[in-house]
Amino acid sequence: MNRMFAVAWREFVSVVWTRGFLLGVFLPPLMTGIAIFAVFLLKNMEGPRVQGHVVIVDQSGLVGEAAVKRLPEDLAARSKEKAEQIKKAAEKATETFKLPPDQAAQAKAMADMQTKQMIPSAEVRAELGAPDQDLDKLKEILRTTEIKAKGESGNADPLLAVAVIPKGATEPDAEGKFGVFDLFVAPKLDIEIQQGIERSIGDAIVDARIASDSRVKAAGLDSKFLRSMLARPNIDAVTITKSGERKSIGELQMLVPMGFMILLMVSVMTTGQYLMTTVVEEKSSRVMEILLSAVSPMQLMTGKILGHMAVGVLIIGIYGSVGIASLIYFALTQLVTPMTFVLLIGYFICAAVTMAALMAAIGSAVNELREAQTLMTPVIMITILPWMIWFVIQRAPNSPLATTLSFIPVLNPYVMVLRLGGSEPIPSWQHPIALLIGAVTSITVLWGAAKIFRIGVLMYGKPPNFKTLIKWVRMA
Amino acid sequence: MLSIEIRGLTKTFGPKVAVNNLDLSVPQGSLCGFIGPNGAGKTTTIRMIMSIIFPDSGELRVLGRPSAVESKDRIGYLPEERGVYRKMKVGAFLNYMGKLKGIDAASTDKKVRSWLERMGLPNEYKKKCEELSKGMQQKVQFISAVMHEPDLLILDEVFSGLDPVNRRLIRELIDEQHKAGRTVIFSTHAMFEAEQLCDQIFMIHKGNKMLDGSLQSILAKFDPRSILVEPTDPADLDRLATIPGVISSQPAGKTTHEVRFSETVDPAHAMRSIIDSMPVRRVEVKRATLEDIFIDVVLGRSGAAHTDRENLRNELAAASSE
Repeated sequence: MNRMFAVAWREFVSVVWTRGFLLGVFLPPLMTGIAIFAVFLLKNMEGPRVQGHVVIVDQSGLVGEAAVKRLPEDLAARSKEKAEQIKKAAEKATETFKLPPDQAAQAKAMADMQTKQMIPSAEVRAELGAPDQDLDKLKEILRTTEIKAKGESGNADPLLAVAVIPKGATEPDAEGKFGVFDLFVAPKLDIEIQQGIERSIGDAIVDARIASDSRVKAAGLDSKFLRSMLARPNIDAVTITKSGERKSIGELQMLVPMGFMILLMVSVMTTGQYLMTTVVEEKSSRVMEILLSAVSPMQLMTGKILGHMAVGVLIIGIYGSVGIASLIYFALTQLVTPMTFVLLIGYFICAAVTMAALMAAIGSAVNELREAQTLMTPVIMITILPWMIWFVIQRAPNSPLATTLSFIPVLNPYVMVLRLGGSEPIPSWQHPIALLIGAVTSITVLWGAAKIFRIGVLMYGKPPNFKTLIKWVRMA
Repeated sequence: MLSIEIRGLTKTFGPKVAVNNLDLSVPQGSLCGFIGPNGAGKTTTIRMIMSIIFPDSGELRVLGRPSAVESKDRIGYLPEERGVYRKMKVGAFLNYMGKLKGIDAASTDKKVRSWLERMGLPNEYKKKCEELSKGMQQKVQFISAVMHEPDLLILDEVFSGLDPVNRRLIRELIDEQHKAGRTVIFSTHAMFEAEQLCDQIFMIHKGNKMLDGSLQSILAKFDPRSILVEPTDPADLDRLATIPGVISSQPAGKTTHEVRFSETVDPAHAMRSIIDSMPVRRVEVKRATLEDIFIDVVLGRSGAAHTDRENLRNELAAASSE
């Protein structure tokens, strides 16, 4: 027993205590951490303040003046509306997730921060250009425009954009279709402001169309009424579950099973790969038989599997805690429960033991990594298959297909993990059965792998094929 | 008391019989040489003794127990296929091996350092194994086999790949282990190594036991009872056959003949009668080498053709030069 743990400890250290592993595993979460920290630092940074003017060349004669008048107002209203939206989203999150006061305050602070950062404040005026204005000249000016934030030195009132409204924009052609307008903008114009200008002039054109139409006038309608009539109702769906009603979380709910799946795959594959590499290395460096003089093949294999599984748990631990930290940060903790994690670990153990045993067997049978490729292909298929059916399963976690796959040996830990984070709870009787199948599978694979391992580790020369491996399992 | 007792041991790999109905007893405290050319079945036998592979049939007792697994800590084993973890530090590797062999953690490191000192590798403790020369690596492996002070030491092809200086060092260490009362088994295809070291010989060829016994008894049994004679005058060579008691006289080189006497003649007496009958440059009682004996045993004492003997001799020479 002691020796098995000695083997496990050496394997663990030999993997974890290398530059490659430390970089590969710790760097991504570390960088995420730095990014989050950086967001905090940026808290007091403000969105750009843009000033300048827009020239509107109106060839229709119906839009120009109204457009010039409403552009600054529209931009201001748009900023206000966006800020309102962000604030509302934060309030909604607080309400939906029943956040405690401290988290609610955090959400509000986040919203304020976003408002500050994302919404540019604009001091933009518009002026009317002559219908026969030289466009090339204006474009030339645009080309050289340098947009400065307010307070910086330079042109205080640069040309930001030129809008050209042709006659066809307000007068329908023979088929009853209206034309579009052109907008030329200076380089580096804030996208938010550009969209504001597009929207504002577009609205001005629509208003002009309505106002100039004799039928609308005759019916005594105005643009405001028509617009509110045409607005599509916007709603949030409510999910009816056994335990009550809740608002759909939508996309976020999709991310959870995906996150679990990636976590499981990364840890299982890393575990398996490292394990196989060390077995092949021990064989090719001929250290294997020296080890076997002190420990039995079974002790060696079990120790190795334990050691590498500890590496897998470490990976899950690191990434899982980063995941939990970000769930807490974004106040989404209700997406997962502690039980989910217990089950996740359960399925991880089933998947990892199976994979590690297969990899140990393959590693023991070959002389170098290159030879392992052919034997590894079917094993890798096991982990790729759940990816291929990911979408089907996450859309309908309790469909007959998903349920059936949950009971197919080798595949089932991956399928269960996919379903685990899904939108519908899994019927509770399925977990014990799936875990049992997983456990029986991993023990069976372990048993077969031990036989291959015992014969394989001392076998040099031509690498065996699958038929030979199965023969080894049947032997002895 | 026997350290190893083997009865009717047989192992086949597919159609190939690697070890065939082998009997062997290794007395406690002996220094036993397993000899035979490559592919004779030495390593297979040793692996079965170590319970790394299992026999198809036959009985086996190691240190009084039916399996080496039960007394692994009392056995030191240096396999033929041996290596080290390339990226691991020498000290860490030996500490790890010590732990696997059940040495208590407190004294392992002290043992490792003192052994490295003895092997002339005191500065290699912190070096990575891959930085060591092959000879140095062999020494590290040897330490890993003996550091837990086993009662039985099994060394498979321990001399291969070593330079003469290190051969000598290992030979001294084996001798030391032997003198400390430990049973040592080592296999080699270089028969002269066995001749220099062993007190027990176990000869194996193509999976079959050829010879088994103490070195003294084997050498006595295969005494060729012949004398090499080099007369001062080559013309006297022809006269050798006429000396009383001589059975045959055959050329053994350009100016030398090998002279055989009948069983009843005392070698000392025979030498005197040669010197009396002609002036000689050299007279010498021929001693059988293990290699000669091996060839005799494998091919039969006299029946085999000369080319067969040469072929086998070449085979052995090729194996030694590897």
